[in-house]
Amino acid sequence: MRQKALQNFVPLFMPRSYMSTEVNKTGSWRFLRPRYDEKTAPCSAACPAGEDIARIEMLATQGLFKEAWETILRENPFPAVCGRVCFHPCEGVCNRGEFDAPIAIHALERFLAETALRYDLKPDLERNPERKERIAVVGAGPAGLSAACFLNRLGYSCDVFEASPEPGGILRWGIPEYRLPLSALRSEIARIEGEGVRIVTDRRIPADFVDRAGGQYDAVFIGCGYGRTTMLRIPGEESSGVEDGLEFLNRVRKGIAPQLDGLSAVIGGGNTAVDVARSILRLGGKAVILYRRRRRDMPAFQEEVEMALEEGVELRELLAPAAIAKDRRGLLITLRPMKVIGEDESGRGRVEPAGGRIEEFRARRVFKATGAEAAEDWLNPPSRKRNVIFFDNGVLVNRTKGPAVVYGGDLTNETKSVTHAVASGKAAAIALDALFREGFAAVRSRLKSCAVGNGKSLSMEIYMGGERRLRNPHVVGFEEINTDYFHFAPRLTQPKLMKEERLGTFKEIDLKISANLAIREAERCFNCGICNRCDNCYLFCPDLAVIREKDAAGRIVNYEYCKGCGLCVVECPRNAMTLEEEER
Amino acid sequence: MKRVLEGSHAVAEAVRLAKAQVISAYPITPQTHIVEILSEYCSSGKMNARFLRVESEHSALAALIGAQSSGVRTFTATSSQGLALMHELLHWAAGARLPIVMAEVNRALGPGWNIWTDQTDSLAQRDTGWIQLYCEDSQEVLDTTLQAYRLAEEVNLPVMVVLDAFFLSHTYEPVDIPDEKDVDRFLPPFTPKFQLDTANPCSFGQLVTPAFYMEMRYDIDRAMDMAIARFGDIEEEYHRLFKRRYGAVEAVQCDDADIIFVTSGTVTSTCRLVLKALRDRGEKVGILKVKLFRPSPSEEISRALGTAKKVAVIDRNCSFGAGGIFAQEVRAALCNLPGHPLVYGYIAGIGGRDVTPQLLEEIYWKTKNSDFPEKDRIWMGIQEVSHGTQRS
Repeated sequence: MRQKALQNFVPLFMPRSYMSTEVNKTGSWRFLRPRYDEKTAPCSAACPAGEDIARIEMLATQGLFKEAWETILRENPFPAVCGRVCFHPCEGVCNRGEFDAPIAIHALERFLAETALRYDLKPDLERNPERKERIAVVGAGPAGLSAACFLNRLGYSCDVFEASPEPGGILRWGIPEYRLPLSALRSEIARIEGEGVRIVTDRRIPADFVDRAGGQYDAVFIGCGYGRTTMLRIPGEESSGVEDGLEFLNRVRKGIAPQLDGLSAVIGGGNTAVDVARSILRLGGKAVILYRRRRRDMPAFQEEVEMALEEGVELRELLAPAAIAKDRRGLLITLRPMKVIGEDESGRGRVEPAGGRIEEFRARRVFKATGAEAAEDWLNPPSRKRNVIFFDNGVLVNRTKGPAVVYGGDLTNETKSVTHAVASGKAAAIALDALFREGFAAVRSRLKSCAVGNGKSLSMEIYMGGERRLRNPHVVGFEEINTDYFHFAPRLTQPKLMKEERLGTFKEIDLKISANLAIREAERCFNCGICNRCDNCYLFCPDLAVIREKDAAGRIVNYEYCKGCGLCVVECPRNAMTLEEEER
Repeated sequence: MKRVLEGSHAVAEAVRLAKAQVISAYPITPQTHIVEILSEYCSSGKMNARFLRVESEHSALAALIGAQSSGVRTFTATSSQGLALMHELLHWAAGARLPIVMAEVNRALGPGWNIWTDQTDSLAQRDTGWIQLYCEDSQEVLDTTLQAYRLAEEVNLPVMVVLDAFFLSHTYEPVDIPDEKDVDRFLPPFTPKFQLDTANPCSFGQLVTPAFYMEMRYDIDRAMDMAIARFGDIEEEYHRLFKRRYGAVEAVQCDDADIIFVTSGTVTSTCRLVLKALRDRGEKVGILKVKLFRPSPSEEISRALGTAKKVAVIDRNCSFGAGGIFAQEVRAALCNLPGHPLVYGYIAGIGGRDVTPQLLEEIYWKTKNSDFPEKDRIWMGIQEVSHGTQRS
């Protein structure tokens, strides 16, 4: 028996423990400390409206379209507009661009706005308690409506005054319908009105309005835009057949522009020039853009220029008009050839007359689109410095008597874009709220404190104390993305009307995309700097020191056991964690 | 049932009959045929087992260490560089006392890149704590693989079943495949002595201080000793059921032999022919086939060789600077035996070169005609080569 037992005995002394390893508090070994540290995505810092794009795309991938849409609305009341007409500087800095191609952020913005419209969604946004101050807004363009919308959310009662019969400003009267359909604009304005903003149309505000508004309003926002085309200052400019580009676009949007035939010359290189030229094609004419610099120097969005050329607009570069003469056969434009003599800091070519032969160009009509200015002088901000704060996209004048005045939109903005106008309205709202609550001295630091990534863009969510204020302003660079976790995937191809379909109609060119396509595109997003709960930290932690909260809302590092190996930080695909030296 | 099988498939049939539950491997010639067919068995449902695809041999064995810890029967197969890559985990598997079974198809290590047979890969792993069994033919491969599970599970040590590349792995021979019911009697389902169990959580393999580590190593060594005895018992039982046995060593006509060949692997079969030819001419010659390399059956070796005058060890391997590894083992087994025979070490068949009857006969006459081993190792069949390594 004993022998048998001995025979069955296997020498098996081995390392084995039934004691929990929890007694070994490995956290005491740590000299580096990982922590969740959400940072700023480059797109959001580049967005003039400071939209929280990385988060918007994350929500979109989860099918949370309403939440994604609301996240846009917190910073920009015009997603349906900006998704279409914004020149999307966000995509230019997208880290994904260094990997394969940037995310089609504008297409997703438009998709979310359209989805909200389709299901008639009502946003649930944070609002501050009501305040007693009343604010008048002059001009119902993108800047004025944004200012009113944000001020409204901050608790102020706002009246918007608009000279024309319908609100929208340049969006309603300047941008052609093939880029921005009326229904998209109207739905956004209706939502702003629905939030409580009053809009009074057909009301032209007189120059003495600010002085007389004292009893009624505590502040006035002036955002009337640039309504007048600048003069060419050349002989023959007043000839019949020479038209103002902006006025022409206005007539097109009113639906009273005539059919055009023959060749029209468009002078200028901005978006107005391109819009005019493309509208001419749609009205049956031919268009040639005459520009004094090169194509690459045109302030118009490159994509618009490309499509214009594709549709048949002709572009002639380095030609400056010297005179316009009218004869029996139409208009004769004298053109002076130019040459490039260098570049300014932004890389835009500087030109001067090349001398030599003068060229003559014959056209049925000439449209001036060389730039615009304020329609009346009193709309321009003052140049004095006392009691005035000049900030990005706005000027605040704190008058000792009467209401404070903020100038915004194209009147103050260096870049005259719709999204900059939105940014201007937001900055004005924050500046006025800070003025009323904390006084003139606090305004500048307040504006600074809600900057996105320490840049120029401001965040209303940060200003209103939302979670976004906890983000580290550090802007995530491509080298900080762990690209091992991403696959190459082609960028969304925007479906468009065929070229043949576009001419002869003002139908919108960019077609809608499906939810499938939108989600697939949103999934390409690195979500730079923000946690999308991919759980790499949880999976890689060798000490089981990453704890998932029960509702899966967050992740917590258990510092009793975290020994600071840093694996979680290295394996975080999107730099939403930081590893720091432990304080001793 | 008899079937004509490739050596590789003889391994696979044994693994199927052993009802291994987790198989993990990474392909490498000449082993690939083994796991290829096993993966088919897993996917077709012929075996109720998980086949884990991994990115390296290191991971293959790591995966099995995890699987085996949970108390299931496991299998892997590899060769050469693959085995070398497993090295760290070979130690771990033995230290953790996990009865993993591996088929190791002997293949030369690179460079020069060479896929043919050579025992250096497995013999270089002799100190990892793995039991090593060298096989001569496909039948032995099948039988040994089944025995390997019994042996491993009884003494809690991992076992390597070793077979020659191509000469065995890719050669078709008739093989008797035992009946599944008989195999089940010989090899019942695995009952682990310890295992990972969520109902009774414990951890394995943690830090051990000098106060205990040595005893753990002592137990591995004791278990190795035990394996020699157990192997005999297991063979006994196997013989009862299947009428086949091989022995830790096999002594062929050693009793009256003056000169005894020591062989392993497929060379043994060739040597059997040479033995017959030499005996016919009146030469007193024997063969000692070594099957069990670790644990070392030194008693059996010295008993079989003790009465001979000379021993000629054929090594298809080399420990550079020291000679054939089997020769060293034989010398170690004999050194304390008074008046022990002279040990002649021959290195032959490296990197898959053929070991012919003529070569073995040449070894015999070389041994017989020299009074004393001129060197501790003689490389057989070395040709003149150009040493022009520098380019002009």
